[in-house]
Amino acid sequence: MSVAAPAFDPVPARPVRASRFDSSWLLWIAIIAVLLFLVVSPFIYLVITSFQAERTGDFTLSNYATAYGRARYVDALFNSLKLGAASAALAGIFAVPLAWAVARTNMPGRGLTRMLVLATFITPPYTGAVAWILLAGPNAGWLNRFYMMATGAEAGPFNIYSFTGLAVVIALYSFPYIFIFTTAALELVSSEMEDAANILGAGPWRTMRKVTLPLALPAILGGLIICFLEAIALFGSPAMIAIPARFNVVTTQLFQFFGNPVRVEVAAAYAMPLLGVTILLVLVQRLIVRRKGFVALTGKGGERRPILLGRWRWVMFGYAMFVAALAVFLPYIFLIQSAFAKAWGRGFLLDNITLANFHFILFEHATAAQSVINSFVYGGISATIAVFLTLGVAYIVARRLIPFGGVLGFLCVAPFVIPGVVLAIASLLMFLKPIPLTGIQIYNTVWIILYAYLARFLVLALRPAISGYHQIDRALEEAARIAGANLFTRMRTIIFPLVAPAALAGGLLIFMTALSELTVSALLWSTGSETIGVLMFSFEQGGDSSYASAISAITVAITFVLMLLANLLAVHLPSGVLPWRD
Amino acid sequence: MKGLGSLALALVLAFAPLAARADIKALTEAAKKEGELTWYVAHYTSEGAEDLGRGFTEMYGVKVNVVRTTAQVAYQRLLQDIKNNQTICDVFSSTDLGHYARLKSEGRLEKYVPESTPKISEAFRNFDSDGYFHTTAAGLVVLTYNTSKVKPEDAPKKWEDLLDIKWKGKVSTGHPGFSGYVGTWVLSMKKLYGWQYFDKLEKNKPQIGRSINDTVTALNAGERQVAAGADGSTLFSAARGNPLAVSYPSDGSVLIISPSAIMKGTKHPNAAKLFMEYLYSIEASKINAKHFGIPLRPEVPSPPGAKPISEIKVIRPTVAEVEKGIPEVIEQWRDTFGN
Repeated sequence: MSVAAPAFDPVPARPVRASRFDSSWLLWIAIIAVLLFLVVSPFIYLVITSFQAERTGDFTLSNYATAYGRARYVDALFNSLKLGAASAALAGIFAVPLAWAVARTNMPGRGLTRMLVLATFITPPYTGAVAWILLAGPNAGWLNRFYMMATGAEAGPFNIYSFTGLAVVIALYSFPYIFIFTTAALELVSSEMEDAANILGAGPWRTMRKVTLPLALPAILGGLIICFLEAIALFGSPAMIAIPARFNVVTTQLFQFFGNPVRVEVAAAYAMPLLGVTILLVLVQRLIVRRKGFVALTGKGGERRPILLGRWRWVMFGYAMFVAALAVFLPYIFLIQSAFAKAWGRGFLLDNITLANFHFILFEHATAAQSVINSFVYGGISATIAVFLTLGVAYIVARRLIPFGGVLGFLCVAPFVIPGVVLAIASLLMFLKPIPLTGIQIYNTVWIILYAYLARFLVLALRPAISGYHQIDRALEEAARIAGANLFTRMRTIIFPLVAPAALAGGLLIFMTALSELTVSALLWSTGSETIGVLMFSFEQGGDSSYASAISAITVAITFVLMLLANLLAVHLPSGVLPWRD
Repeated sequence: MKGLGSLALALVLAFAPLAARADIKALTEAAKKEGELTWYVAHYTSEGAEDLGRGFTEMYGVKVNVVRTTAQVAYQRLLQDIKNNQTICDVFSSTDLGHYARLKSEGRLEKYVPESTPKISEAFRNFDSDGYFHTTAAGLVVLTYNTSKVKPEDAPKKWEDLLDIKWKGKVSTGHPGFSGYVGTWVLSMKKLYGWQYFDKLEKNKPQIGRSINDTVTALNAGERQVAAGADGSTLFSAARGNPLAVSYPSDGSVLIISPSAIMKGTKHPNAAKLFMEYLYSIEASKINAKHFGIPLRPEVPSPPGAKPISEIKVIRPTVAEVEKGIPEVIEQWRDTFGN
């Protein structure tokens, strides 16, 4: 599989600018224009808004004074940063050993592990949080009940309503990013370097620590950054866990700025440090990766042999199943119980089982069935557009066709860290008026949702594709050019086939992320364009856990069927497109 | 004055049906020509709102685009529409009174008093004395409890019972910063017992959720045993078989009434007016009761498990108190409970 590492530092070995003018420039300009429109405009819009006075639009710093004038607000920001760091670190602990075991060793159940990680990925974080409240609630959580039964203690040790609890729940549903990026990178490392280390006397563990993992470091760091950003921008799980735990994070605080009176300008100012942190992280990654002078991965030519773990392979398998139990098995017990329950508060009783919740969602509810279809369609459309856009943009960035191409690459990260609600508001404000020059009005249509999905998730496909381009030897393309192939021929015959798997796999990530997305569509939907997120949000608001669980179960089931169908097609696809296959 | 008032009321009651019927017929014809309306609604559950929209279409053949979302989101979208001089929303139904005060003072609302106003229960009439917005949904904040852990005779009977040490670690509430229901409840408690009520409540270490409906989850999960919850969502969950019940506090259930208003400049003025009339109809009240809302019309029975509104002692802060008081109690809440 080749969802290559999201190396945030696209520096090709030989920066060469395209020297002569050809018609392909028009294409590049068009692609760059689309990219500017997608990711740069909301970003600039927010920066400007953060300096505007509410009614007059005059320049002011007072939004910043309001946003940071109170210790409470500043605390929330630090809590978010801590939460991001803790979640990302935990996610790394979950993901990296699994990725290594799946990609490089003879651990049993590697395919199963991949499947389970994917199942984690398509579980909406909100659903996971609800299940974990039932598992680790301090008074009635099942883990605590079992503990008390087993030990006779008065109280159990687990408390989901805590900083740690929240960090674990977020990590459990974001570690797949690291897993997917890292396995992709590890699968490109040939065994020769490990062999060399072995010959020099290093055991398997030392080899892993000193050779294999460092080679995958850019990918791991890229994944960690994505997890960090995701943890900061998430609203659902913090709202459910942090509020009872009595601490505030940026997203729960932001919500307050959208109360009455609405202070969009203050919210924009409040979101600015998140962008600053993103820039900082990307720079740090760049420093680390650069200083160590990483050799480029040697490509798929090298021989790859699994490392034989001996008895340890069962230990690794145990760890994989432990992580899967936390992320999938245990939560799904409750998801399924709730989805099939007449009254979920009565617990696990035979006479409490019903299909009524599913019947309600699929046949009785006015918009539910349509919402599920909508989500799949919107996810599919944005993923498709993203794949094509990505191929072009990544080419520009990786081949340095324009000055500051790297900056473009970075800018795509920015919308991912802007909390969904802020991005959604920015989109609303931007598109109130028809798009300049075209007169097209996308406000109150489905296009505004697609726009926001693309802007927010583009990075998930773009970074892997950029890395993909770096791994192609330029000589191939030069040869074709000399042989007279024009750009489009080169693209069709050389570039796309080589990078497409990375881009397609990135597209799949976007598709799955869009399915469990909640905050963006909650603000942007209009009649007829409801999404799963909108529906979940309203069930959650109404306290209808059973309906919310049923819709999660339906989504997960459909996604699984699609994955199986894709498996049937796998022989016709380039290797590495399906992230759950070897 | 009172005598005159009742006389006027009696006169209105005597003549209203005739007049209203004639008007509504004309209104229906005009509304049909307009064909549709868009309803930004934060009242009811989403299914309840959809059902009400469908009921209207069935009665009058006028399509309703139901945009059901939370109060803040609905308001946010409305403001964006206004900024852009777009009139997408015809009828606006938020749960936050502050929205109406502000919209009214900015001249964004169309004045219209539904003809059927005299037919609804008295508690819901005359919300805005200037006639710009009108009660279209009502709910109560009451004491709720988990019946598998608490016997009815042990359940709290008045708000102060929640302060009893025996509920330490067993109380659940929502958060006033995230829920208008909770905000109004906090304001009412402060009015009744002063802020000390919450200083004492904090000693019982309540679990604070976001929405008032989070108390349903906390009780069902067995995580907590008693709560200040909403009657509608609690009774709905109880009707499905969950171990929940409500207890109407003797010192007053907190009545939350939420208004609707027609937006100024609406493109479907007749459909919007007809819709306001419809929300006061027996049919709409029945749909509302089916979804565990309090029926506005006294002739429609209350949902299963609920007492009729006329038999409940209710307390309610005024619009002005809500407008000024809720931001204050949110701050006090954060100081007392730490977030």
